Order: sequence, then C-alpha cells, then structure tokens
Amino acid sequence: MVTRLHGATCIDGVSKSEVRDLFLDGEAIRSEQTTHTRIDSEYKLDNHIVVAGGIDLHTHIGGGKVNIARLLLPDLVVHQNSNLVRKTAEQPWLKPLSSPVPGTWETGRRYLEMGYTACFEPALLPANARHAHAEMADTPWLDTGGYLLLGNDRLLLEWIRDGVPQEQINAYVGWMVRAHQCCAVKVVNAGGIDAFKFNQRHLSVDDSHVHFGITPRQILNSLSQAVDSLQLAHPLHVHCSNLGLAGNIAATMATIDAVEGRRLHLTHAQFHCYGTDGPHGYSSAARELADRVNAVPNLSIDVGQVQFGQTVTLSGDTMHQFANRKLARPRKAIFQDLECQAGCGVLPFRYRQDQYVHGLLWSIGLELFLRVEDPQRVFLTTDHPNGAPFTSYPHLIRLLMDYDYRMSIFSRLHPDVQKSSPLPSLTREYSLEEIVAMTRLGPAKALGLNNRGSLCDGKLADIVVYEKCENPEQMFSQPKMVFRRGRLVYRDGVFLADSTKSTIVSSIEIEPQMDAMLKKIWRTRYGYSTEMISVRTDELQSERRIVEEN
Amino acid sequence: MICPFCSLLCDADDLNQVCCRRRESSLVEVTKMRSLHGTPSRNSESIPNAINALRSATRILVTGRIASVQTARAAVSFAAKYNATIDCAEGGHSFKNILAIQRSGLNSVSLAEARDHSDVFIVVGDDRLLAKAPRIPSALANEKRDKRTVLLLGDFSEASVSIWREAGFDVWCVPCELNSVPTALVQWSRWSDSNRDSISVAGPLFELLAQARYTTVLWSAENLQMENADLWVERMLQWIATRNEVTRCAAMPWSSLDGTFQQACTWLTGFPGRVAFQAGTPEYDPCRFSYQEWLAKKPTTEKIKSVLVVIDETVCTTPFLEASELPANTQVIEVTAKAKTFPTAIAGVEVAADMFRADQTLLARVEPSVEPRSDAKSAAHWLEALSRW
Repeated sequence: MVTRLHGATCIDGVSKSEVRDLFLDGEAIRSEQTTHTRIDSEYKLDNHIVVAGGIDLHTHIGGGKVNIARLLLPDLVVHQNSNLVRKTAEQPWLKPLSSPVPGTWETGRRYLEMGYTACFEPALLPANARHAHAEMADTPWLDTGGYLLLGNDRLLLEWIRDGVPQEQINAYVGWMVRAHQCCAVKVVNAGGIDAFKFNQRHLSVDDSHVHFGITPRQILNSLSQAVDSLQLAHPLHVHCSNLGLAGNIAATMATIDAVEGRRLHLTHAQFHCYGTDGPHGYSSAARELADRVNAVPNLSIDVGQVQFGQTVTLSGDTMHQFANRKLARPRKAIFQDLECQAGCGVLPFRYRQDQYVHGLLWSIGLELFLRVEDPQRVFLTTDHPNGAPFTSYPHLIRLLMDYDYRMSIFSRLHPDVQKSSPLPSLTREYSLEEIVAMTRLGPAKALGLNNRGSLCDGKLADIVVYEKCENPEQMFSQPKMVFRRGRLVYRDGVFLADSTKSTIVSSIEIEPQMDAMLKKIWRTRYGYSTEMISVRTDELQSERRIVEEN
Repeated sequence: MICPFCSLLCDADDLNQVCCRRRESSLVEVTKMRSLHGTPSRNSESIPNAINALRSATRILVTGRIASVQTARAAVSFAAKYNATIDCAEGGHSFKNILAIQRSGLNSVSLAEARDHSDVFIVVGDDRLLAKAPRIPSALANEKRDKRTVLLLGDFSEASVSIWREAGFDVWCVPCELNSVPTALVQWSRWSDSNRDSISVAGPLFELLAQARYTTVLWSAENLQMENADLWVERMLQWIATRNEVTRCAAMPWSSLDGTFQQACTWLTGFPGRVAFQAGTPEYDPCRFSYQEWLAKKPTTEKIKSVLVVIDETVCTTPFLEASELPANTQVIEVTAKAKTFPTAIAGVEVAADMFRADQTLLARVEPSVEPRSDAKSAAHWLEALSRW
C-alpha cells in the first residue's frame, strides 16, 4: 500500500522546510517514488503542512496514581454534551477535557486529535508496572513506554549506604528496567519519598536521610552512573528535590552537579527554578537554569508549563504533595506509601491567573521555553495533568509563537507578577520548525527513537497533516489527517480505524547473577517472588501490541 | 505460584505447604465442579437467543463477580455496546470505602510496605476477615523485624487472636462495637492523666499510639454492616489524616477480588463501577446505578423488558443472586462457572488472569494450574462473542 501526499510543506527540523511529495510505503516514509511503485491513494495537500507524529516524553497516562486520581475525582468529569462545557473568550479553541484525568479511550482520542502518536508514562512504580502497561494497552492509537521509578527503593538505598560496588547497582538497575519492561529510569525527589515514610519532612540534595544516612547527591550520582553504564538511550530523568519551594534553584543546580557531567534530563523544570527575591519572597530563577542548559550540551529539560484552570496534581513526591495538602481544591487528597519502592500523592488543584504564585509559575515556564536556545533540548510538556491537562498544548504553542497574544494574557496576571517578571523583554517567537523540533525530533532523539521524529527516508510513517492557519492554536488543535504506520486513522474529525501500537522497552540483558540474587532478596523483603511483578514480553504481545526494543 | 482464591494472592513455591482454609475449601469446590461437569450442555441457539433478549431489552444490568482485568475489559465493552448499567461490586461493600474516599481522600499503605515498615497494626473487624483471607497475619509478619504489636478492635475470637500471635505479633485485643471505634481512637490518642479513671484501657493504648512510628489501620468493608458505613470509613480516614500531621499512619482498606473490576473500570470509563451507558457516554452515580437499586426497581409495565447478565468467574459457593431477588419478567443470561449455556472458566485456575491484590497496588498475572473443562471458556470470551454478534 503506497500513499502519496502531494504538494504539502514538509517540516521536520532536519531538512529544509519545503513543498514536496512524500510517499508512505507500507509502514515507512519514502521521499521519492521508485519507477515501478503503484500509488494506491493520493492526497492533494496544497496549503497544508506535513509533520511527523508528535511525541510526548512526559505525560502521566497510566499506572496507580493516575487511576487513583480518577477514583478521587468523579466530580470533575464534565460531559461534553452538557451545558457545563463552555468555550471561554481567552481560549476559544481549547477543547474542554471531560476530566483532567480522562479514561484511557478518551486519552488516546484526545492525543490523536492533536497529532500525537507516542506518549511516555514518566513514573512507573515497579510494583505497578503490569497495571501501567495494561492501562496503556487500553489507550488507543498511541505507542507507549514507561520510565521506571527508582531512587527511593529501600533495597537500593541500603546498598548505597552499605557501599556495595557500583557494578552491583548497575546490574540491579538493568534488571529492574528489563523486568518491568521500561525504557528509562526516573528519580523523584531522590531518597525523599522514603524519608517521608520515616516522618522526615524535608530533604535537600546534601541532607541526610534520617534512617539510611545517605544523601540525594549519592543516589543521583549512583543512578546516573548506572544509566550511562547500561547505555540506556534516555539519560537519567530527574524530578529534583524541593519541588515547588521558594529558592529551590539551589537544589536544582546541586542536582546537575551531582551527576558530575553525565547526561541528565530535568523534568518539569518550571517547578524547580524558583528564587527568593521579589515582593513575596518567591521569584523566577529561570534565567539561571536556562543559562546552564545552554552551556551544557548533554543537559535537557521539559518544562511542565502551568495553564490556568482546574486540574489535579499527581506525583510520586509524597513528601511535597503532603506539604501542599491544604492547597487542594476541592479539599481532598490521597497519599500512598507503596511497596518499599516509592509513594504517591494526588491533589486536585486550581491555578488562578489573579494569584501571584500561580501567575509567576505560568511566566517562569514560558521564560524557560524562550531562554533555552536549542528547541531540541527543551520539550513541550505540561507534566500532564500537573501543570495542566495535555489538551492545552495547542494553546501553549500559540503562546510560544505569538508575542502579542502572550502579552495579552500576561497583562491579566497579578500586578506583582507584571512588575517583577522579565517576560515582556523576551520577544522571541517560536517558528513552526522550532515547534516541530521540540515536539517531534527532539523527544525522538532524547529517547533514542531512531525510527521516529522526522520525515526522513525509512522512518515510521506516523504522519500528521495540518491545514495552514494564521492561528497556530487552531491549527494544532485539529489535524486534517493522521496516519499511523502508513494507514489513515483520522480525517476531518472522524476516527477511521484503530492502529497497531508499540510498547517501547529497553533491550538490556539481565545478568543471571543479579537475577538469582534478587530472587532470594525479593521473597524476604516483599514476601513474594520476582515472577509476581516481572512483566513478560509475551504478556505485552498478548494485548495486541508490538514490543519495540531501543 | 500464585493462589487466586482470595485477594491476598499468596505467592509461594509450593502453595500446598502454606495451604489455608480458604484455599482448601476452594480446591474442593473446583474438584466438585469438574467432576459434575459432563457432556457440554449448551446448544447452538444459546448465543442467538441471548442476543435476541439483549436487543429487545429496555433495561440491562451487567453484574456479578469479576476477578480479572481481562473480563473487566470485556464486561465494560459489552455494557457500552448494549447501553447497559454495570455494577460488579459484590454486595456494594467496596463502595463503603469508595464513597468515603471520594469525599475526603485517603492516606494508605500497601502490603509489602506495611510488612517492612509498620511497627503497630490496628485491625478492625471480626473473624470474617481471617475467614476470607486467612493468611493476612503471615503476610504482614516479618522475621527480620522486632516483635510488633497488633491491636485487634471489634469482635475477634480467641482463634483469631492465636493466628496473629502465631505469626509473631504481640497481640492486644479490645472487644468493642465497630461503631464506636473511630470515637474510641480519637479518645485514646488524646488521653491524658486528667481522664485516667474514665477509660480504663486508655492509658496503655495512648502509650502504644504515642510511641508508634508508623501505624497501619486495616479493615475489610465486608465487616462493616452498620448503617451508613461510608461515614464510619470517613471518620477513620479523618483520624488517620490527623495523625499524619505529627507522625505517620496509613489505612489499608482490604478489598476482595472485585477490586480488580473497580480498577479496570476506572481506567476504562473514569469511574470505579456503578456506571450507566444509556446516554451513550459513561455516567456515574454510586446510588442510582447500584445493582441493588436496579433489582429493587420493579418494572411498572410489561413493555419494560429487563435483562440481567450475571458474570461469575470465581469458585464462590454462594450464588451471586437468589431467584427471589429478581424482578418479574427479567431474563437472566448467566456467564458463570456453573452455567450450562455459557460455562465459564475460573479466573486464575483454569485460565490466566491479571488480578489485583487486596491493597490495589500490585497487579499479578495468575497462571492457570489446571486444564479448563472442555466446554468452559473465559468469561471474556463469552462476553466478546455476545458483543460481536
């Protein structure tokens, strides 16, 4: 089956954007037609752009905490055909989600409607791995993968305390990633989640865990060594210490230093770059972080942009979620301590544009986007649903591409934000090429997805066609067409077909000695065997998925 | 090897060596079921007949005992296709917890965390807790820890106390009415010398709670037979939340096998059950869409044709519903282990099943231990067949 896309402007951030034909030959992209190729279908696409499928490298779409948020918040579900859904003057093109944490089908549908074809759950608790994979299997149209949550697992903390050889930790990390079918390693508040279980309420990078006596710096260093030693495609994915606290930029810088020059990805960086200046002792330190990112080539960030409105925050960082419990709106929250591995906190939250701190968070996120020079090292995320539901991406794209629009929102913020924020001085407007780089090419490179992210010959034919439009929010809200693996699955608002989906996993080999060691340890520590939690490849395949190793 | 007969999902190399009363009786039931099963009794008309009933129905309820993710998916999809109501929470027990959580949140702990970390356990209920899951004490026992304390509140026999003691716990037992437990806990945690004489047991309990570094509070909603049990749960959750202001304390609301359905239904629809699809979209109402409410609503005219789809993939000996509970003019489609038309393989025994452990944290793949009966198919198979027709 060969499809020809004729006359569209092809944009991928690799080659020059130009009007050319593109061929979808089976599941792959071809830039040229071979002489004997028979064209099965052809689309004339003047006045359209063609890009690769979007990749969201940090979105909470599966696993225990997401489901707990759904359980907690049935009251936030709004049916689209009810009168409660209103389009607002500020966001005329923002489609209201039926919930900040929609069910799996709704999630897949909404992502496809924006032109995304791959999403990654960034905090997959080992004990939750099968659950998370099952949930992602039920999310249609999306290729998925997960980052394994380590750095608060008590076994690792004990080993670091006991000074076991780094090779043993490398083998452990490799075993864990493989056994739980993940593709990367995530650390959330290194050591802090476990410290909270011992009633410790604060732990910065060089503070000691009250029980184990080790510091987050040691944990970060050890895990970054393991990730590099195992040659995982994605660097250590870090949620820093001191989430949301004024002055936490110091901890963020210390985190960067802790990995001693190794590769590093800082996630939802917006929540981790606050100073203590300004009228309320809470200020932007975006410049400091952005300068560091610009100076260090193997450092990347995703932003975790805040948008105004109702959402729910869910995080493994129980320590800081608990500290924020009184900010919950509606006033209810869930906190869990889980399996000697981590925890989670779920708090509904409403960001208000007339509130100083909330407005500041909004402006800091945009500052980061605008100050980091390389769009392939700053990724477009809202840390769904923590900063906002992912459906706000088209709105965010407009904020980045349109200075005047950005300032029109800025002018409604709390006066003290307007006085103190440097946002008006940042006149940069993202180009379409840069947006495509930060949502396609950059994430593909960061995750080692060599077959995705651009329109080059031989890449997977996950293709999105947008009709050109002055208003980028409108354009990115609804593609004209989406192809998955060369097959048209969505056109003009109509979902035409389901598609084969992949689970992206790491290809690490398990070391037999570590396997034997953990089999013994597991039963003593957890009371069950490693088989109870290991997810076999054939289990994933039985759910009509392809397992892709990277 | 994982035992599928209760939501504890015991995992042992040789399950027969750690065999419990629940497993023993369930194995007997499985054997009976297999020996009674002779020639396949379903006929080629069964699916078309069921389809006809479903197509002409004006109200459909899907309910029963669903223990696997696979069947939960098929059941939700089936309910959506036929615009049915679905509620598979057996007896509505789990909704006592869910309603309270949805109002005021939760601090909870998972099984292995409590086993490794907790120094004081408060277990509220009665002997039925251990009848349902006899190995809870040994699952929480940890040889590597110093002796830990379990405080049994409610109506526990000496036999239950012994089981906890044998598992290595220092057992304190305070017989009391379950209704009074939340208030008593508040009093005991605030006890002081000034009211020493008023509550004789309060002093030692105050000391126990004051010294506890991580308290786990365990109850099973099935034991909560009082009116408005969700309010009881809410008061317990509030006591736990208050303790977390200064120390650590967490709940472990014990769920039965239907926890698996609730989890899967939540990620598929956004709601934990009690969902109606009549409007073409999932609508949630924990009161209006309960199966008890559906059964209680008597059709006012003969034009209303009711179809009840009962799914049971467990070996539970008591039927899910008694015939007397059925409204008049209701057709029943049984997708159960003992059904003749749609004989259903037992989840985790005859077919592989993904099942959630009682703390709702860990989803285990339970491999079958016996060949399925020749005519038995998974419940998911039957439901998918009825959806495809």
